[in-house]
Amino acid sequence: MKRSLSILLAGMLLVGAVAISGCTDTKMEIAGTEEITTNELIAAVGTHGGEPESGFNPITGWGYNHEPLIQSTLFKKDSNGALINDLATDHSVSEDGITWTVTIRDDVTFHDGEALTAEDVAFTFNTASEAGGSVDLSMLEKATATDEYTVEFELNDDQATFINKLAVIGIVPEHAYDENYGQNPIGSGPYEFVQWDKGQQVILEADQDYYGDEPYFQKLTIVFMESDTAFAAARSGQIDLAEIPASYAGQEVEGMKIVALESIDARGISFPTQPDTGEKSEDGYAIGNDVTSDVAIRKALNIGIDRQTLVDGALNGQGEEEFTGVDKLPWGNEEAIIEDGNVEEAKKILSDAGWEDTDGDGIVEKDGVKAEFTLLYAASAQERQALAVAVSEEAKELGINIIPEGASWDKIDTLALSTPVVFGYGSLDPTDLYLKYYSESYDPSSYNNIIMYSNPTVDSYLRAAITSSDQDTANENWQMAAWDGETGFSPKGDATWMWMATLDYLYIMDEDLDIGTPKIQPHGADIFGNILEWKRTEN
Amino acid sequence: MSTAAVTANRGLFKGFNLRQKTILLISCLSVLLLAIVVSSTFIDDNALSTDFRSKNLAPSLEHPFGTDWMGRDMFIRTLGGLGLSIVIGALASSISTVMSVILGLLSSIGKIEDSIVSWLVDLFLSIPHLLLIILISIGLGGGATGVIIAVALSHWTSLTRVVRAEIKQIKTQDYIHISRNFGRSRWWIAKNHILPHLVPQFVLGTIVMFPHAILHEASVTFLGFGLSPHQPAIGIILSESMKYLSAGYWWLAFFPGLSLLIVILAFDMIGENMGKILDPKRAHE
Repeated sequence: MKRSLSILLAGMLLVGAVAISGCTDTKMEIAGTEEITTNELIAAVGTHGGEPESGFNPITGWGYNHEPLIQSTLFKKDSNGALINDLATDHSVSEDGITWTVTIRDDVTFHDGEALTAEDVAFTFNTASEAGGSVDLSMLEKATATDEYTVEFELNDDQATFINKLAVIGIVPEHAYDENYGQNPIGSGPYEFVQWDKGQQVILEADQDYYGDEPYFQKLTIVFMESDTAFAAARSGQIDLAEIPASYAGQEVEGMKIVALESIDARGISFPTQPDTGEKSEDGYAIGNDVTSDVAIRKALNIGIDRQTLVDGALNGQGEEEFTGVDKLPWGNEEAIIEDGNVEEAKKILSDAGWEDTDGDGIVEKDGVKAEFTLLYAASAQERQALAVAVSEEAKELGINIIPEGASWDKIDTLALSTPVVFGYGSLDPTDLYLKYYSESYDPSSYNNIIMYSNPTVDSYLRAAITSSDQDTANENWQMAAWDGETGFSPKGDATWMWMATLDYLYIMDEDLDIGTPKIQPHGADIFGNILEWKRTEN
Repeated sequence: MSTAAVTANRGLFKGFNLRQKTILLISCLSVLLLAIVVSSTFIDDNALSTDFRSKNLAPSLEHPFGTDWMGRDMFIRTLGGLGLSIVIGALASSISTVMSVILGLLSSIGKIEDSIVSWLVDLFLSIPHLLLIILISIGLGGGATGVIIAVALSHWTSLTRVVRAEIKQIKTQDYIHISRNFGRSRWWIAKNHILPHLVPQFVLGTIVMFPHAILHEASVTFLGFGLSPHQPAIGIILSESMKYLSAGYWWLAFFPGLSLLIVILAFDMIGENMGKILDPKRAHE
């Protein structure tokens, strides 16, 4: 009995694994596949993590970094990343940078017919600030509606980048907001929420009273699937658009095209910059790392690793080299970009700093400390796994032993203060730099300044940048923080992180689908960012 | 049974008698399994390193099992995974055997001890096995050690039951009563009269437990517990291969799955034939 059971189990594992692709083709049932009319679109795109756990609620993070579809925001970014008005008609900032006044359109209604007023805007931001969701609103003191169409935001810090927060939080109706809002959202965006079948799909329909351009696609169905399943579904014609893994770039499907969208979504390795003194964080997690706290190690890796090899190999060619985490953005510093893949130079940096291989095992040591550390990556993210493994193999040449280890985020959170982690960042909001490198941003309960970086010069640039209302001055200071000729957070300076590459997001879509000029793709991508431009071309 | 006896001596290896054939079969299979374990320990990091220029290659002479999405040779990965599985299986089997010996003998001492042991067995059996493994491995902080210890610590129940039943049966035998009447202590009886009868049970139980432990290790790693996804473990290899089936890379699942099946069958056959040798009643089958 036991014997036959074990054989049966083994056989099932084998047969099951082989048969599963067949199952996904035949058993997947998607509502609305019976008759696809041309102005309907069925898409399987991840948009950062796929199905939102807490529903379509901007307060808890829906739409942050990507088009919320159901809700609309005060400002939007155009395809160049510049801010444009959406709900807002105008805005002004007081002399001291503390009071922001925004006027909004007077012709906007929510999908339930109620008018959208300044009260709703104030309510949204006050609630989001209290909720402490994924958008950092710590600088917001309070928002008040001064009249029906004017909102005043009072800050506790004169951060000029506050306007970016106004571009990421969708406005929710005060009269219809409760803790279940995410399950049944009402907004003022181009699409009205119809139905959410948890674990399967969400159905949206174009709102006929939408104040902006009318979308071509009247019905939008977003199905939630793993990207490989999505590919199978696209191939069998069940869906019109699917986000697919980079390894599928070479596939060909009749009647469909593969489109790669460049993104600013960078993958980098955080290097704890403080030594391990035995100190623990409030939660009892270890802090600091004796190997990565040596700038020579960080610099050697930054200079010695060949990023193009990583892109060609680990990312299947679907990406671009990245050096500072913000290379492609207006606040990226070209001067900070280095010549990489230089193994000789990297070895020289190590030996100059006293790292020598004394015991002949190919790994350098200094004062009895081996140049060895664990590199954590999220086990669920394939590209991070590939990057971690590829970096660790390249680092062997430099005499640095990197041990990749896949883990869940829960586990990574307990180790991130003492162990390098492969992170992903890509935001159109430069505040990201402030949170990452400003010494006082360090907060063990978040990923802010997780490397405990502290450089007074960089701090002063960052502070100047975030408080500067003039865009050019701000960008100049952001750039100087990376490299001012003497110091900075970039590989030329303190080499605080090792940024490796930005990803391309890969989609397979119907041949006749025209997605216009996509917006800049942030972390997690935002393919629906310009949904209003989308159409099907006539055959 | 009679037909088996007639046909048994035909075909290959005519010169050997049945017992020799059985031993030959057992040794061949053992050598195969041993070869897997030994060769897997010789795999160094370089053999498992990525080569992105040769990724997703179909099986060929250079890569008999093909290569995966990072250009790693699937044959070596599979070998590494099976080696790990067998080691975990060996560990689980030996720990379980030791535990069941101890618990079995403990239960033979007296009524209270017996009910404690059967209560323990019932307790562990009442939790679904896979769940128990996951619970223990998370309780131990996850990681490879977590999985190994969890698999090792959760397989003793059924063997303990068998041992306990066997002991109960032996204890009713006359010579036990006589020995007792001669004034031998319970411990002496357990050691000298009962234990020798249990040896075949232990040997068989250990071998039959192997496939169980291996499959459980594969299932747990398949579900993503324990090992990092870049490490070779048969469950990880299989779960990773699922992602590539819609791209048509069938070899990623097929060969590792088949290898797992072969290893399981090998253990099974060893167990079965070992039974024939050790059990006098079945020796002529």
